[in-house]
Amino acid sequence: MWMQQLWLAVIGLSAGAVVAGGVFSFIIGLGVVSDFADRTHTGEHIRLYEDAIALGGILGTVFFIFQLRIPGGTWLLPLFGLFGGVFVGCWAMALAEILNLFPIFIRRAKLQMCIKYIVLGIAMGKTAGAMLFFAQRW
Amino acid sequence: MAVIYIKAERNIEVSNPRVRLGDVLKIESQDPKLLEQIKKIPLMTFQNTDQKQESRVAISVLGVIKKIHGEIPDLEIQNVGEIDFIITYKKEKDAGKLMHLLKIVFVVLISFFGAAFSAMAFNNDVDTVTMFGQIYQLVTGRTSDGFTILEITYSIGLIVGILIFFNHFGKSKVSVDPTPLEVEMRLYENDIQTTLIENYSRNSGNKEDSSNGKGSKG
Repeated sequence: MWMQQLWLAVIGLSAGAVVAGGVFSFIIGLGVVSDFADRTHTGEHIRLYEDAIALGGILGTVFFIFQLRIPGGTWLLPLFGLFGGVFVGCWAMALAEILNLFPIFIRRAKLQMCIKYIVLGIAMGKTAGAMLFFAQRW
Repeated sequence: MAVIYIKAERNIEVSNPRVRLGDVLKIESQDPKLLEQIKKIPLMTFQNTDQKQESRVAISVLGVIKKIHGEIPDLEIQNVGEIDFIITYKKEKDAGKLMHLLKIVFVVLISFFGAAFSAMAFNNDVDTVTMFGQIYQLVTGRTSDGFTILEITYSIGLIVGILIFFNHFGKSKVSVDPTPLEVEMRLYENDIQTTLIENYSRNSGNKEDSSNGKGSKG
């Protein structure tokens, strides 16, 4: 009996540690947060941002895994939606950037001007897609 | 013949629009009088500074050497720093402390909710809850009620992993290495600086002005 529990504990611990390494190096590696810190000229506070990421990841996992109910959490929903949305928006574009999507397309299509309209188009497209997705309850 | 050594950082911020060599370079020489003389040589002047908050130029060290030789012809100059560097002019402003605080809060909130979202999206994506049920059944032969040692240790493991990865929480640091975000931040700044230098060098061909020594690379 305790042998089984020990097995489960070992599996759980290692799974958690490895998942944390993978997911969080992905978050950092995409450079969303460092980008934000640079753009807001608050680079001296990145330790604080790291703490926020760590805390967010830990609480997110704990609440999700144990399916906990957050008491009086309705005011959190718009916050979560807004800031989560900003993060995912940046994340998606950072992913495109990492994969060199823009340089390749711009070179292939010989585009020089109007790049800002392309960016705007992508942003509008993403928003429209998200709206459709939620409106259709997919 | 006297020898001087000059060293420039990649990105230098100045708040005085009239830039002199001493503002942007580290200069070393055995002759203190020569050193003072070189430090006072004007390098360039930022124009239209009242319209813009920030302006930027890329400077080639060749232009700097040209300036020094213009004043003191018989001198050997050794460059031990960057070949091209950026000077950013920025108006000094002390106001906006509240704005600064708001920005920090903004980034903290994005980091926090973004990380929470990512962690939950990951767990949802790989269906951790169901998988833990299956593992539990495989090991013990009983069905999981969703709150077992597996979930508890997973959460502990996650915390440990995150703290090891980030190398610190709050002020207590695990090792002397810089944290991953600090490394990423430097990489990002390096990328930006390299891009700026190459952009300026590329564009300087048609509007080259030898008096401010714009880059001549590429």
